[in-house]
Amino acid sequence: MSSASTAAATRPATEAQPQLVIDNVSKQFGEGPEAVLAVDQVSFNVMPGEFVACIGPSGCGKSTLFNIIGGLLGEYVGNVMIDKERIAGPHPAVGMVFQEESTFPWRNVLDNVCFPLELQKIAKSERQDRAQKFIDIVGLQGFEKRMPSELSGGMKQRVSIARTLVSGPQILLMDEPFAALDEQTRLLLGDKITQIQQDLHQTTLLITHNLTEAVQLSDRIVVMTYRPGRVKRIVDIDLPRPRTSDVVSSAAFGKYVAEIWGDLREEASRGMAESESSTATRGKSARG
Amino acid sequence: MASTDQVNAPRATASRGWITSGRVSERDTNLIRIGILLGVAAVWEAVSRSGWLFRDVVPSLLAIGASIWKLLMNPAFYANLQVTAWEVFASLVIGGALGIFVGILIGANRFLAAAYEPYVYYLAPTPRIIFFPVMIMWFGVGVASKIALGALSCFFTVALSTAGGMRQIDKVLIRVGNSFRATPWQMGTKIYLPAMRVPVLNGIRLGFGTATVTALLAETKLSNQGLGFMIMQIYARFDMPSLYGLLIIVFVIAGLGNLILGKVTGTSD
Ligand SMILES: Nc1ncnc2c1ncn2[C@@H]1O[C@H](COP(=O)(O)OP(=O)(O)O)[C@@H](O)[C@H]1O
Ligand SMILES: [Mg+2]
Repeated sequence: MSSASTAAATRPATEAQPQLVIDNVSKQFGEGPEAVLAVDQVSFNVMPGEFVACIGPSGCGKSTLFNIIGGLLGEYVGNVMIDKERIAGPHPAVGMVFQEESTFPWRNVLDNVCFPLELQKIAKSERQDRAQKFIDIVGLQGFEKRMPSELSGGMKQRVSIARTLVSGPQILLMDEPFAALDEQTRLLLGDKITQIQQDLHQTTLLITHNLTEAVQLSDRIVVMTYRPGRVKRIVDIDLPRPRTSDVVSSAAFGKYVAEIWGDLREEASRGMAESESSTATRGKSARG
Repeated sequence: MASTDQVNAPRATASRGWITSGRVSERDTNLIRIGILLGVAAVWEAVSRSGWLFRDVVPSLLAIGASIWKLLMNPAFYANLQVTAWEVFASLVIGGALGIFVGILIGANRFLAAAYEPYVYYLAPTPRIIFFPVMIMWFGVGVASKIALGALSCFFTVALSTAGGMRQIDKVLIRVGNSFRATPWQMGTKIYLPAMRVPVLNGIRLGFGTATVTALLAETKLSNQGLGFMIMQIYARFDMPSLYGLLIIVFVIAGLGNLILGKVTGTSD
């Protein structure tokens, strides 16, 4: 997919430097005949303040890419660069929101959000002030003293997002943060995310398999192929901002969805066929 | 004593339906508890007065009450209580600390777990009292052998629940800590420990129970001090009211200990 990577490289018409450079990144799990090439020569950039979605069918290597960028998978081929520095471990500029439910069940909402500030040994009153700001931003004011067990899935995910935002990441990295939520909650949380991104000019890379979500939120969408995960296409989304979830009923939105779905369907059906045949033959690479 | 209106108390709750869905209120449970206690007391007293059984086997509650009072006034009781309490405390500290340490090792290390877990699982349900003769040979007939045996029983309980707690930590929480670049110390104190808090503290609470049982049991077998020894002394005199009195006192103390431990550790149910 060299055409896609050159498109990504030539894209910055402005003078701004990309905040995140993903340059020819590959990752293989295992060795020999059992090896799985999860990510194959992926390249794209994310510009400051930009919202990019990376979309692809399940098993195409999205989480692998997420973990590489987050520095949780030390060994990989190629370069992920932030501030001209190659990522080889968790980088302070990157804030991660995980696919799984990840609030600390023994901490209330406020203390969950305070967590990264606690690690930085920031004084209690200051960290509570800063945490409060982000609790308000994600719309959880009044729930500060609640325990995660008392919250809905959507609220817990908002706690995780606030907890990551409070650490002041230059790049917000989210792996299917809404995967476990129903469609309505997902659309409304999408509004929240759009608003946050616009208010904070938060550079964001969203990993998702949900097409509506990707088009609703993004400035640009990176479409991935099914195993090995390559960049199939990069699509600019020229929908007006500020956006709300109402955008999903517009004609332009439908056009983008239809266009990307054309690419995605091919990959998704490939993925489906492959996983069916691998379950039929008690497949080797059934992990993940 | 056998007043019927008090025994009726639980029935008032029951009339709202025997099958209760959701949470039973604390007040209702307490009423039922008091009711059951009073019921047992009433039956006991009735049997005692009926003269069906040899009088001393089921002494009257009055006699038991008097013997409890006498025991509580007896300095020897406190001396023995102190010995047993020390044995339980030392068992809990030694067995608990070793248990947490080994539990973390087994929980964190798959190879260690594979190698040693079968032994732990086989040994855990073995009655510890069968090791008592060994402990006597190693540590003598005094307090030390009871502490050793108590620590041994406590160890298994705590090690198993710690290993279980370690393994059930949600892996994503560890990734969260790593993504925020927590130091190893911060990972330990802010993620591992709190994530394992409930199973570890539960293990300690259970360990307290097994340590108490083991210490008392060992004292009844071979000793010259402690509450278990006192029970056997009273038994030898066939002083039934004092025997029941002491059993009730031990029961209450153990219950209180469990309650306090539950409150302190925040694991009370
Ligand atoms: N730790 C791992 N060891 C071996 N294979 C893995 C591992 N993590 C992911 N994989 C494999 O890599 C492929 C991509 O996985 P993943 O990145 O989780 O995909 P996605 O997030 O897009 O669903 C899958 O085939 C999965 O089985
Ligand atoms: Mg994934």
